[in-house]
Amino acid sequence: MRNLFPRWVNTIPVKVILSLGIIGGTVTAGITYYATPKYTRVGYQPTQPVSYDHSFHAGQLGLDCRYCHHGVDKSSHANIPSANVCMSCHKNIKADSPLLAPIRDSYFGEDENKDGKLSEGEDLNDDGILNEGPSVPWVRIHKAPDYVYFNHAIHVNRGVSCVECHGRIDQMEVVHHDKPLSMAFCLECHRNPEKSLRPMNEVTNLAWSIASKEEEDSHITQFHAGLDIKNKWGVNPPLSCTGCHR
Amino acid sequence: MIKQVTEETLENGKRYWKSLDDLACKPSFKNWVEREFPEGASMLEGVQRRGFMKLMAASFGLAGLGMTGCRRPEHTILPYGKSPEELIPGVPNYYATSMPSAQGHTPLIVESHEGRPTKIEGNPSYIPNGGGTSIYAQASVLDLYDPDRSKSSLKRSNENEDSWDVISSDQVKEDLVNLMKEGKVAILAEKSSSTARKALSELLIEKGVIWTEHEAIDLTSPEYKLGNAIGTDSGLRLIPNLGKASRVLSLDCDFLGNREPFSLANTRALMKGRKVLSAKDAKKMNRLYSVESDLTITGGVADHRLRLESSQFIAFTNLLAAEIFTIRKSGSKAEITRLQERGNVLKTHAKWIRECAVDLCSKHKSSVILPGGHLPAEVHLLCYAINQALGCIGRTVQYQVTDKPASNLLSLQEAIGKDNVKTLIFLGGNPVHNASSLDWGNLSDKISNKIHLGDSVNETTSICDYHIGQSHYLESWDEGETWDGTGIVPVQPLLAPLFETMADLELLQLLLGSSQNTHDFVKSLQEKRSSTDSYEDFLRLGVEKQMPTYYSKEIPLSELSKYKEQIPKPPTLDSLEVLLIPDFHAWDGRYANNGWMQECPDPISKLTWDNALLISPALAKTLEEKYPSLGLIPEPTMLNKNGEIAPDAANFDHGKQKAPIVTLSISENQTIEGPLYVQPGLADCSIIATLGLGRTEVGRVGNGTGYNAYPLLGNNFDRIVSNVSIEPTGEFETLANVQEHWSMEGRAIVREGNAEEYISDEAFASHMGAESHSPKIWGKDQEADLKFKAQTTPRGNSSYEHPDHNYEKSETPGLHQWGMAIDLNQCTGCSACVVACQSENNIPIVGKDQVLRGREMHWIRLDRYFSSTARDGAELPSDVQVSFQGVACMHCETAPCETVCPVNATVHDEEGLNAMAYNRCVGTRYCANNCPYKVRRFNFFDWNKRQTDELYKGPLGKKNDPLPDMGKNPDVTVRMRGVMEKCTYCVQRIQESKIQVKVKAQRNALLSTGKDGADIELSNEDIKVPDGTIKTACQQVCPSDSISFGDLSDPESEVSKLKNNPRDYSVLGYLNTRPRTTFLAKVRNPNHSMPDFASSPHAAREYHDKAHPTHHEEGDHDNHAKEGEKH
Repeated sequence: MRNLFPRWVNTIPVKVILSLGIIGGTVTAGITYYATPKYTRVGYQPTQPVSYDHSFHAGQLGLDCRYCHHGVDKSSHANIPSANVCMSCHKNIKADSPLLAPIRDSYFGEDENKDGKLSEGEDLNDDGILNEGPSVPWVRIHKAPDYVYFNHAIHVNRGVSCVECHGRIDQMEVVHHDKPLSMAFCLECHRNPEKSLRPMNEVTNLAWSIASKEEEDSHITQFHAGLDIKNKWGVNPPLSCTGCHR
Repeated sequence: MIKQVTEETLENGKRYWKSLDDLACKPSFKNWVEREFPEGASMLEGVQRRGFMKLMAASFGLAGLGMTGCRRPEHTILPYGKSPEELIPGVPNYYATSMPSAQGHTPLIVESHEGRPTKIEGNPSYIPNGGGTSIYAQASVLDLYDPDRSKSSLKRSNENEDSWDVISSDQVKEDLVNLMKEGKVAILAEKSSSTARKALSELLIEKGVIWTEHEAIDLTSPEYKLGNAIGTDSGLRLIPNLGKASRVLSLDCDFLGNREPFSLANTRALMKGRKVLSAKDAKKMNRLYSVESDLTITGGVADHRLRLESSQFIAFTNLLAAEIFTIRKSGSKAEITRLQERGNVLKTHAKWIRECAVDLCSKHKSSVILPGGHLPAEVHLLCYAINQALGCIGRTVQYQVTDKPASNLLSLQEAIGKDNVKTLIFLGGNPVHNASSLDWGNLSDKISNKIHLGDSVNETTSICDYHIGQSHYLESWDEGETWDGTGIVPVQPLLAPLFETMADLELLQLLLGSSQNTHDFVKSLQEKRSSTDSYEDFLRLGVEKQMPTYYSKEIPLSELSKYKEQIPKPPTLDSLEVLLIPDFHAWDGRYANNGWMQECPDPISKLTWDNALLISPALAKTLEEKYPSLGLIPEPTMLNKNGEIAPDAANFDHGKQKAPIVTLSISENQTIEGPLYVQPGLADCSIIATLGLGRTEVGRVGNGTGYNAYPLLGNNFDRIVSNVSIEPTGEFETLANVQEHWSMEGRAIVREGNAEEYISDEAFASHMGAESHSPKIWGKDQEADLKFKAQTTPRGNSSYEHPDHNYEKSETPGLHQWGMAIDLNQCTGCSACVVACQSENNIPIVGKDQVLRGREMHWIRLDRYFSSTARDGAELPSDVQVSFQGVACMHCETAPCETVCPVNATVHDEEGLNAMAYNRCVGTRYCANNCPYKVRRFNFFDWNKRQTDELYKGPLGKKNDPLPDMGKNPDVTVRMRGVMEKCTYCVQRIQESKIQVKVKAQRNALLSTGKDGADIELSNEDIKVPDGTIKTACQQVCPSDSISFGDLSDPESEVSKLKNNPRDYSVLGYLNTRPRTTFLAKVRNPNHSMPDFASSPHAAREYHDKAHPTHHEEGDHDNHAKEGEKH
């Protein structure tokens, strides 16, 4: 009865502990890498119903962000432009492009002869109103959770550029999710706003970076300039829950 | 020995309580107050534990199968094809409109999020309401999204059958035109102050249509009673101008509550005259006398209150008139003697009446007497004569000349009898239910087409063969008059009709054969009226002024002698009187399907989802003697067979009130059944029954709530019913009463003083409560200013260091320090704040079953306290004083809830808010357990998602109809199951204002420099929110401005000034929680000479008796003390 268990049994606890450690470590590492917004969100690049090219419009043509997203400095939402914004140019430019069909459908709707008036046979649901067509179903890329109340107006007006959260949209042919937009990401900037603050007029200039003297690191120049802006404007981003959660 | 006496005094002499059980010190109540949540609230009931585990296992299994969590669901954003002007997604728009109601059109400003109306506020351009709104206006937005409202028009598919076909609106239009061609059309409309409808009705009458109007609770009836009595054709509408009044006597007139019209303006004006910020104000404070049979919120405000059965008001007013004419030396001696004789029955109250009359006459030009609308014509005429004798007509009261009354039900009956009616159109309303004295079956047999236009299918639909869905007022064009006739207000739609419904004006236009749409019609009316203002201006401002005509002719006092019929005999305990009043929840029944109204507790009885037959303690005692099994009166203590203390199961069990059901009957046909509820403060022989609940054809919410009292309402719609007998049925019902929920025990929670006390000692409130005896809360910093206290949280006497709310690396402790002050002296208890908060903050309703378990979710609750004079211990008191206190999260500086949260879900922010991060909360409920104010609410279920009767089925329960979600405020998180919530000081409004101020400052600065913006400088003042910009939802709705909110670090802000007022005190201040919400003590203004004068309010005396039990100075305590000495 002396050797009921073979000798190697003695190593079991060590092995168990070791493998548990490895499994635990892998799971933790896996979750930290694969289950955080850095991995789950960044790179999300859905196909849009209209292949709108930001790098062309905002980059090459130099349209200001606010031409289309005109609510961004007034509202909590940066609105997706309604079809009439597109049509203000595309009535004349590429007016018949098949790629723009969904936009035209949405804009003209029941107005089949495109004269802007209610004509014979156009009032499809008989309500006496010339109705617009179906909305263009743009696919949402950036989405804060329901319990987060992000406000665009305050950021844009207080010197935080679009580029800080959305990346170089002006270089994207198809827009993708560029930054993690996790709570840690938000807090990083709320704790150190000076790293991101810039003059108000440069907010929509995605290519802007501070002009630094040759011998100085641009980060340091930005830090000092940002600090200056922070103090002059009294920028004091909220770090408490109520800032974003209501 | 002295100690023993003290205990005895306490036992018998408790004079400050929240319910009869509390009063009797019942063990069940003691047990109750010791718990955070009512018993049963935190228990899983209805589902067996085993069944629950099975369900959970199954749902976990299912969750694993789909792996839906791995992939992000694709959302689309749908922009407009052509964006409407003035619409920026995410920025709400506000439109001026008004709500049609039985008390005139209420001017409103409605908030709309991307075309969905979400929140209703008062329009401050209409001065009398000053931006306040009634509770019904607040709740009316929910009616728009009521899943049970009519969504189309219906036609009975086969006669005498209960199946209906949906018909298109084109078909409806065609049918209406055809019926009109056939002729013999009669319309029975609910009353309305719409000027547009009136114009159309006149055209219809010209075309031979019989136009009649009916309202069960007709608020216009008193003006015609008076008009008739004086002998004019038109009505004479009494419009009080209480802003100028210094003495007010209400004769059964609930002019601050829901029973009378114009209550918002009355509340605002009267309470302004009761605002005391200094001793000087207290000298000018107005005084309110109230004589009433029911205990109303007007009686709660009153400085002197007399209980009197409603049928006795003829005698009372005669006696009062005699006194006043004598003092004012008007009227002949014979006249006065005659009046005295007519009032002879009430000799017992002679002293009360005389002293009251003397006081009224002492300020005669600023006194006013207001009679209740249900009182007979004689009272109205007498009041006119008294007001005339006082010389106050034209000052504190106006008699507005109104139009002749429309034909009523009787003329319709007559026309039907003569076969003059082939088609009857019910234009809104519910006459089959609320005029049940008519023989509708017989009448409807004589009419071939019966059409009902209504917002939902109701009792009236059941006799019709055609139902046309009616549009909500937020979907229709109209215009109407305010009650006082000084304003014409537009009804402007905020959205196109959600369903295929029709507004009443559209229907009338069809009958007239007019092709004009209602917008153009209303516009043409306005253009006819005004040449200077455009229609757009009218819509923008929302009010157009007009000058009503007033009647001020003197009437000879000999007119009064025309009333010779016998004065009704005083009711006795054997032959009772019933007063029928509109229900708080449903009014006349029209709000019966509104969940917010159903769940909002009645201010006085604190009943939800139910109405009861209210009886006086004296009547309860008689009934108890006659039928001992009723269990109406709680016994002080009860012992079971084992000698253990047992709760009185007959009456109160876990806050579930068992009420005996009784039958009230006048005759064999006129009987009702309802539960009894003992209400202190009622006239001894009055029973108060409310009209409006107990509907049979109603949506899901209103189904099965309350009893129906309409059968007692006779042909003449007289709401005072006499010779009623009462008989128990032997059955019991459970009432969802929240009066004992969240009790705080009898500490100095509500502090009150008389005006005289206040004048001699402005800081009387700070001499009360345990903290007045304890070391100073702030230690050496006690006298420091609010700013210092709010920003630095001084340690005071605490041995612990307080948390410092300066966040890491941020140099400033928050630019603002938010705080709230609630002036108890201004609060009438109208409860509009409760519903306003519900609407603003997406607070769900939980249903009667869950209220019974104490799980109601209201973030603000109105505690109602009764206090009484000295009395015999065994007797239930009848004469009570009422105090209200609105309690929401106090945002304590050193919040007890924060320290116990294991996950930091509730933390302080740098501006002093006690934040609640829902997404962090794991639902331990430790915070609620540790909150001394009991203001935290827990989502025991997914109230927002599941139907209230399907809650226990968990994920398998049926989901709520999604329609009400359209009315949710998009700026506030909709909370889910397992999450704690509470008042946030409307943090969404705070953040929005802060953002707006900063954005504006930044843009202005940029524009003025013209550079790139890097060098602009903004001072703290530029980015601070100016005082008064942020109004919390409860503050905004309050007609009497009793709530103020603002920045404590700004010494000039309104809230700082109020907090520095000596009347200011903290509830449970000795706990050192340092609440940011503080209260201003109530000041009453009694008259020395009145027989019921007490040198300090009952509540204050009760506190002093309890806090200093050894000092027996007054009342019956003297006797005890002397006895004690003898021993």
